[in-house]
Amino acid sequence: MISLDHVNARAGNFALADITFEVPQGAYGVVIGPAGAGKTTLLETIAGVVRASSGTITLGGDDMTQAPPESRRLGIVYQHAYLFPHLTVRQNVEYGAANARAADEVMERFGVAPLAGRSVVSLSGGERQLVAIARALARRPEALLLDEPFSALDPRTRNVARRVLRTIYYERRFTVLQVTHDFGEAGLLGDIAIVLDKGRIVQKGDPEQIFRRPASPYIADFLGAENVFAGIAQPIRAAAPDWVESSEHEFVQHAVAFTTGALTFYALGDVVPGPTHAVIRAEEVSLSAEPSMSSVQNQFRGRIVEIVPAGALSRVTVDASGTPIVAAVTARSVRELALEVGSEIVAGFKATAVHLC
Amino acid sequence: MGARAQPNRLARATLSVFVAVLASLFLLFVVGPVAGLVSSGGVRGLSALARDTELRQSLILTALTATTATILGILGGTPVAYLLARRSFTGRAVLAALMDLPLVIPHPVAGIALLLVLGRASPVGSALYAAGLRVAGSPTGIVCAMLFVSAPLYVSAAREAFARVDARYESVARTLGDDAWRAFRRVTLPLSARGLTAAAVVMWARAVSEFGAIVILTYNPKVVSVLSYDRFTSYGLSEALPVAAVLVLFALIPLAALRALRHGDPAPR
Repeated sequence: MISLDHVNARAGNFALADITFEVPQGAYGVVIGPAGAGKTTLLETIAGVVRASSGTITLGGDDMTQAPPESRRLGIVYQHAYLFPHLTVRQNVEYGAANARAADEVMERFGVAPLAGRSVVSLSGGERQLVAIARALARRPEALLLDEPFSALDPRTRNVARRVLRTIYYERRFTVLQVTHDFGEAGLLGDIAIVLDKGRIVQKGDPEQIFRRPASPYIADFLGAENVFAGIAQPIRAAAPDWVESSEHEFVQHAVAFTTGALTFYALGDVVPGPTHAVIRAEEVSLSAEPSMSSVQNQFRGRIVEIVPAGALSRVTVDASGTPIVAAVTARSVRELALEVGSEIVAGFKATAVHLC
Repeated sequence: MGARAQPNRLARATLSVFVAVLASLFLLFVVGPVAGLVSSGGVRGLSALARDTELRQSLILTALTATTATILGILGGTPVAYLLARRSFTGRAVLAALMDLPLVIPHPVAGIALLLVLGRASPVGSALYAAGLRVAGSPTGIVCAMLFVSAPLYVSAAREAFARVDARYESVARTLGDDAWRAFRRVTLPLSARGLTAAAVVMWARAVSEFGAIVILTYNPKVVSVLSYDRFTSYGLSEALPVAAVLVLFALIPLAALRALRHGDPAPR
């Protein structure tokens, strides 16, 4: 378990302020945030490399705030590996290993055993990172701190490394806290996500929840939400003219009209009337040739201004009365609806897909 | 466009020639006197080593005192260099400036300062003398003078050597179970070893060639630099030349070793 309670720390001119969160024993936590948010400093503070100036750091149930790094029973893997260049691969992995067998086992599992006798200077970036992870795991830590460990790997090696790490994690059930820029990776790996910005936690919780309901427009933007609108919210209760939400209770309690530019759409949420932001993930926006008769309450006719193919999905931008709405649709839908720039289309999304923040 | 490119090329070529001539003159200025000295007195100096007992003893004294000073410099200077490279603390800039001070004051002045503190008239000097340790006018005084003027070079270079090793290597070693001292010994020291060796060599070479501070603190017994001065003032240039040439050759040995050491020095990552 990794638990921080109102921790403050300073590294050079950078400060972590009032950091409080808990990653339960055996859980996988992810820290996300822009460059310079303090993610590495956070890991180093937990590791004891950077001293906490106040607050409490609890690891595995013990107060470790003042404990030196070597007593904290955790491993750290940096983005740049930091393999000891004067040692061979084997010597690196054995450096802090619980025993020689543990070192052999992790080298075997990460596929670096054939490199054992080589100098680490001769390794590729991917190999170095695998050795660094193996080195940290050979010590059999109770918690593992990973600072973007896969960012230097090619996609194939990244998948292998993730899979092996995941397998060992499931076997040993140590606690993990991983820094990542990639929210997709965070959603894939994490039981708990912590969003850090300028040395402070700006949101924490279930990654899915953070993804769906970002606490601020900034987080929404950082997490890659394409539709972030500034506008005015007005609770409307039963006054909505075309409101047919299935849940009467939700409707009475939380119906909100949100006006941005020339558009007014309906949302659900607890907001104070006045200026706010609405976030709608592109995946929640559907496109149709004509307004549908379904429960989708927010439907706007507009003109397609851009189609950007991105893997299995295409990002289609619809200009609805001057407000751009981005929809993520499959290539098949693009074909079936004959979508092309300039054509007219109806963009729709449910009130429940609108997150006000 | 072609017409404009032509004068540009000409200007660049002229500039290149100018820079090359300037650099050559500079090299000649630095190397010329030393080469002249070695070519004029080198052979005579080396052959004098066999018959000139005073020169031989002086050379041995110089080597021993410079080596002792270097060892003391390493022992005392390494922690200071590490502190300056790694830790941030109040007064760090002042400490760094103090360490550089002996580099900027004239060396005879350094000798006078040392004489004030370590001479028999001073409380420290008289206490040491009472304890049986004579500083002024003894090999101890030579070591003190050498240490004072050359240790800052070691500290400065050692500090650079430590700074070149990313502190995160130590962080990783600490999380792998090493305490601070063990991480230093197993990681930082091997990674900075080349730089530290180079720093020690520079300090040793500087100690060997020291004159100003030594001549104030300990004229006798004579190190080679003092002996060459003594021969010059007593017998003239022709007698001083072989001694000076031997000193230059002696100082060249560690510097050549240093260059060999630096050749292909990989930057740690």
